[in-house]
Amino acid sequence: MRAVYWAGALLCALALAAAASGAGTSTPGVSPTEIVIGGTIPLTGVASSFRSVGLGASYYFKYVNAHGGVNHRKIRYIIKDDQYDPALTMDKTRELVEQDHVFAIFNSLGTEHNLATRPYLNAVGVPQLFVGSGGRTFGADYKQYKWTIGYQPNYLAEGTIYGREVAKTTPKASIAVLYQNDDYGNDLLAGLKHGLGKRAKQIVSKQSYNADDPEVRSQIARLKSSKANTLMIFATPQFAIQAYRFAYQLGWKPKVYVNVVASASNVMNLAVLASSKKEVEGSISIVFLKDPSDPRWAKDPGIKLYRAIMKRYKDKGTNVNDVYNVYGMSVAHTFVQALKKAGKSPTRASIMNAATHLTIKNDPFLLPGVVVRTTPNDHFPLDQARLERWHNGHWASFGGLFRVR
Amino acid sequence: MLLAFDWSQLAQQTVIGLSSGGTWALLALAIVLIYRSTGVVNFAQGELAMLSTFVAWSLVHHGLSYWGAFFLTIALSFLGGVGIERAVIRPVERAPVLTIVIVTLGLVFVIDGIARWGWSSETRSLPNAFSTRPIDIAGVAFSIQDLGNIAVSLGVVVLLGLLFRYTKLGLALRAAAVNPQESRLLGVRVSWMLALGWGLAAAMGAVSGMLTAPALASFDQNLMQPVLLYALAGAVLGGLESPIGAVVGSLLLGVFVNLVGTYVGWVGNDLRLPVALVIILGVLLVKPSGLFGRTAVRRV
Repeated sequence: MRAVYWAGALLCALALAAAASGAGTSTPGVSPTEIVIGGTIPLTGVASSFRSVGLGASYYFKYVNAHGGVNHRKIRYIIKDDQYDPALTMDKTRELVEQDHVFAIFNSLGTEHNLATRPYLNAVGVPQLFVGSGGRTFGADYKQYKWTIGYQPNYLAEGTIYGREVAKTTPKASIAVLYQNDDYGNDLLAGLKHGLGKRAKQIVSKQSYNADDPEVRSQIARLKSSKANTLMIFATPQFAIQAYRFAYQLGWKPKVYVNVVASASNVMNLAVLASSKKEVEGSISIVFLKDPSDPRWAKDPGIKLYRAIMKRYKDKGTNVNDVYNVYGMSVAHTFVQALKKAGKSPTRASIMNAATHLTIKNDPFLLPGVVVRTTPNDHFPLDQARLERWHNGHWASFGGLFRVR
Repeated sequence: MLLAFDWSQLAQQTVIGLSSGGTWALLALAIVLIYRSTGVVNFAQGELAMLSTFVAWSLVHHGLSYWGAFFLTIALSFLGGVGIERAVIRPVERAPVLTIVIVTLGLVFVIDGIARWGWSSETRSLPNAFSTRPIDIAGVAFSIQDLGNIAVSLGVVVLLGLLFRYTKLGLALRAAAVNPQESRLLGVRVSWMLALGWGLAAAMGAVSGMLTAPALASFDQNLMQPVLLYALAGAVLGGLESPIGAVVGSLLLGVFVNLVGTYVGWVGNDLRLPVALVIILGVLLVKPSGLFGRTAVRRV
């Protein structure tokens, strides 16, 4: 047994050394014809509805490869299925680094999942690029984890936007909050308080829920009995739909703010089915991507490109109107821009340098005006969004762009 | 202090508890049904119900009317249940109970896999059998749907009572579960009785899935996983042998969990599930046969 243990330890040490020394001579994952990157995505399991975040990105890379790749290199993006289990995320990420010798980890999905791999990736010096989570820490703690950078607007920022909007437009509102009892829900709640400032005491009731519970009806009844006139839904799609349903079933018609995690148009349509058109009408959320089901973008060149790529490369069973595909393409587009900036023979250091010096104004998949911007002291690529209002079965954005950190 | 107490809140939470319990009762009935007719707790009962719900969804989306899909799904699920028993359970029919239970645990993953392979994992919804329009009585809101689910479960209790008590088939089902050896000697086709038990439980599971999905407003492949635990707790509380026990146990559990969650601060919203587990444990320790079950007496 002992011998086995030592052999295992030795192997680990060798692997670590190999990974760490990789940058010295030739960069792992980079050959004259290919760049190999990888990431974990819940292709199966409870969160498999997020699979399009990975698939959308893979379709965009296929499109780029078909048009010559980047500096004559094709991008090979290896997606490993972690079933949304952080322990598996760790295993699969190790495999990607130590067996597949990827150049960088890209677009891995989930807050806890990326938290689990962050210390390891930073210890071996493998870039953890454009993390698929709104966890603030991925952008905020870059001094400690210099190989990590986030992507989407973080949850704290999103909550702050809602808080400011309430303070500005309905300063006398009394606010009820439904939130998931984990980092994601807590970040949104903290952001809301921050945005409300001294009006934070107008949060008259807040109820958490456990993602393992079947329903949130009891919570909605308690929120209703607080006599609040504004409801914040900081919940995943299934529970957000329930929030609308149970508010309706209780005869409560608050003004609703619904977080971006649950505000895809198809989810909103289910909420209408589950409650009533009136209950959902006027709901407010944020938006930073072009929603393919939004008629406003029917003739938009970005969405036309999106549809062309989907038509050519999508797998069977992928829903073209799923906005997560658009997200995937946007993050892939950002990676391609960073790779172009990283030089003719990119290294892990040069891609990190490029990823922290980005100004991308023409991402075809983002709302007009939204800029992907990073600096060595700003690891939040996307920190702009617009507010949108649900009207007659569609989102319509209003007001200017918010920039929040 | 007492005057300031919000009585309508108490009433509202009780009504919501009854409504949740009414949903759990449907699955609890399926669990009781299979326990009574095969002597085994089927841990795949929830997943079977989920699969039936997807079948119903597909039927509705191919243009069948809601009730057409409802009854066709029940029939298909019955056949499916019989089929599973023939294919998977029969080879281990005479093995110890533990073996069968482990096979049903394996079935959980197989059925989940089938549902993910056959349908994408996006959130979807099934039409409501009953109206969800709010009815307000003295500040307490509820809807026809809340009453509907409870009424269906009570209706099933009556039907099962008739089946088990007044029909030869029911007698044979019970006999096959309680004493397979002697039943065989008496000419009961035990093996087929077990298959029938699986079929009936699968059909009941289909009813539960098709009424749970609209009650929870939307569904995906995880529909019944959170419900199964509460349903098991409800069934154990009422007595695994007793259909009326399953319903009463589930209703009591629904009310209890809601009131504890509302009024006991440290339980709050986070510890509702553990409360259900504690109830399972407590009942098994204090009164294993549950509120309505009879202690099994066997002549040796």
